[in-house]
Amino acid sequence: MYIPITVDHIARVEGKGGIEIVMGDEGVKEVKLNIIEGPRFFEAITIGKKLEEALAVYPRICSFCSAAHKLTAVEAAEKAVGFTPREEIQDLRDLLYIGDMIESHALHLYLLVLPDYLGYSNPLSMLDKYKKEIEYAMALKNIGAKIMDYLASRPIHQENAIMGGFGKLPTKAQFEELKRELKEALPMAEYTVELFSKLEQYKEVEDKEMIHMAVKPRNGVYGIFGDYIKVSDGFEFPVEDYQKHIVERVVEHSFAKHSFYKDKPFMVGAISRIVNNADLLYGRAKELYAQYKDLLRYDNCFANNFAQALELVYFIERAIDIIDDTLAKWPIRPRDEVEIRDGRGVSITEAPRGLVAYTIEVKDGRVAYADIITPTAMNLAIMERHVRMMAEKHYQDDPERLKYLTEMTVRAYDPCISCSVHVVKL
Amino acid sequence: MENGKVRVGFYALTSCYGCQLQFAMMDEIIQLLDKANIECWFMVERDSDEDREVDIAFIEGSISTEEEVELVKKIREKAKIVIAVGSCAVHGGVQSWGNDKELEELWKTVYGDGKVKFEPRMAEPVEKYIKVDYRLYGCPPEKKDFLYALGTFLIGSWPEDIDYPVCVECRLKGNSCILIEKGEPCLGPLTVAGCDARCPSYNIACIGCRGAIGYDVAWFDSLAKTFKEKGLTKEEILERMRIFNAHNPKLEEMVNKIFEEGE
Repeated sequence: MYIPITVDHIARVEGKGGIEIVMGDEGVKEVKLNIIEGPRFFEAITIGKKLEEALAVYPRICSFCSAAHKLTAVEAAEKAVGFTPREEIQDLRDLLYIGDMIESHALHLYLLVLPDYLGYSNPLSMLDKYKKEIEYAMALKNIGAKIMDYLASRPIHQENAIMGGFGKLPTKAQFEELKRELKEALPMAEYTVELFSKLEQYKEVEDKEMIHMAVKPRNGVYGIFGDYIKVSDGFEFPVEDYQKHIVERVVEHSFAKHSFYKDKPFMVGAISRIVNNADLLYGRAKELYAQYKDLLRYDNCFANNFAQALELVYFIERAIDIIDDTLAKWPIRPRDEVEIRDGRGVSITEAPRGLVAYTIEVKDGRVAYADIITPTAMNLAIMERHVRMMAEKHYQDDPERLKYLTEMTVRAYDPCISCSVHVVKL
Repeated sequence: MENGKVRVGFYALTSCYGCQLQFAMMDEIIQLLDKANIECWFMVERDSDEDREVDIAFIEGSISTEEEVELVKKIREKAKIVIAVGSCAVHGGVQSWGNDKELEELWKTVYGDGKVKFEPRMAEPVEKYIKVDYRLYGCPPEKKDFLYALGTFLIGSWPEDIDYPVCVECRLKGNSCILIEKGEPCLGPLTVAGCDARCPSYNIACIGCRGAIGYDVAWFDSLAKTFKEKGLTKEEILERMRIFNAHNPKLEEMVNKIFEEGE
């Protein structure tokens, strides 16, 4: 007889969730990821509200990816009213989004994941022995935050990213400052790749049936915005069709729904982007990809940690390129007028932890319909499968070790639990 | 206090976790937490326990489940000072924007006939259930809000509340007025200052994320009058003011007054 395992509150993730492992006579009977965070009904509360006000509210679904929510919602709204932003505005949105990527990856890797591997219960106590790592984490996080600060008013819940562009743009000197600091951060990102290349990727969760979904980047460069979704089974579909291919179901133990593709769970996130789009990498990230290809496994969710490290290098170089392009086009008009008309718009982008999908329907200047699916909601079903695989291999271990291993499995997905309790119309 | 260190807990109700993220992202936190024992802070500390006694309890998030009602009561019992952090804990958060609709209606729109084993509630501020000693306004609060509050508590003093609006900071920055000159529905005149007029400084109208000023001096009525003159309907005014003030008992009464007078 084995003791059932319950982790009431998974630590070092964003949001409130728990793990429940129920034992039967022959080992693990049931594994549940309990999402205990309360519902916030974002789609329902914004219906009937003014479009601009709803756009200020949607990003508050999640702080770790508020820029991702903001920019995806704004793009969906612009598509709904029939507006296309200028190329230089699109580039600056890419840059803002990259700020979110860098900050979120640095926080996840160093402050949420690394303590497990180094045997600490929290990142702050690592300071005595791993001062350099904590300093790198803060510096990488700071450059990501500064990009969001300069471009969009602050690192959390950026208000300065609106339909038509930005209220105000950073100065030329601020862009140059960002570029200088990004260059200083590049060696830290490379160090992160080296550091994470040495960490264990638990073979217990190897899953040959893994399906990965990612955006097919719009401009042919590894990135964030796209009009099609690529699936690792070779299938592609236009973003407008996502409700046909990503099917959500309510499950009893969670305020967040589970998502399925062809009736199967699938994964989104950094590793899914690399699995689908590695050929679009360039620069130092391309070289590092060639060097570490074996670690970027499609069949192991732990590879997501390493994929994020590689992306840190990529996105820093990409940000420098965007700044160079922007300065070459200087001065840039921050904003175009957007006429609010009736319509329906769909946008799917790559949030730090995977695809985030928005559909917004506008009628008489107000939101008539909204559908949002967040990365963690997409990942929950497969996350549960991998926690189960881990539990099945280790249910006879010490309960503390089993808790630790299953929590690490969840953490590899970089879940945003607040985000997953998003609320979607069936 | 324990070994000369202040015992701190950071607790989450239903939220986006942005207040904790803001707190965790501060470089200064390394020095601050050197003087503190983290008893509970699930976002960074695996060895967290909601049952431990603390000197200062930071609570973020709105109360949105039955379990969260019990949790805040427990935190109150175990804490000397309770600080409500951010718009969700202080004012119920943007999720309260939906309290013009019935919970059943919201549930049905989102979950259809789906059932889950937890009991949802309409979002409410923490103060509905327990006594709160201090509030950190904002969505999220500014870093200096955290530093000021924690700093004053650590030296055994008590932080002052802010009782003037965003407009004061906006004027001091020399921005042109978004409300008067551009005619946009800026909530600066009734919103608690402390953000250094962040959004108006980016040419974006304030959406009021720090909530209305307390002490019954929030000028819902005079701002509603200005909005009305700019052509906004009563519903539009109420909707905008409610984004971060849905639970304010004065809001509707004061806006109604303006529209009754005009009729």
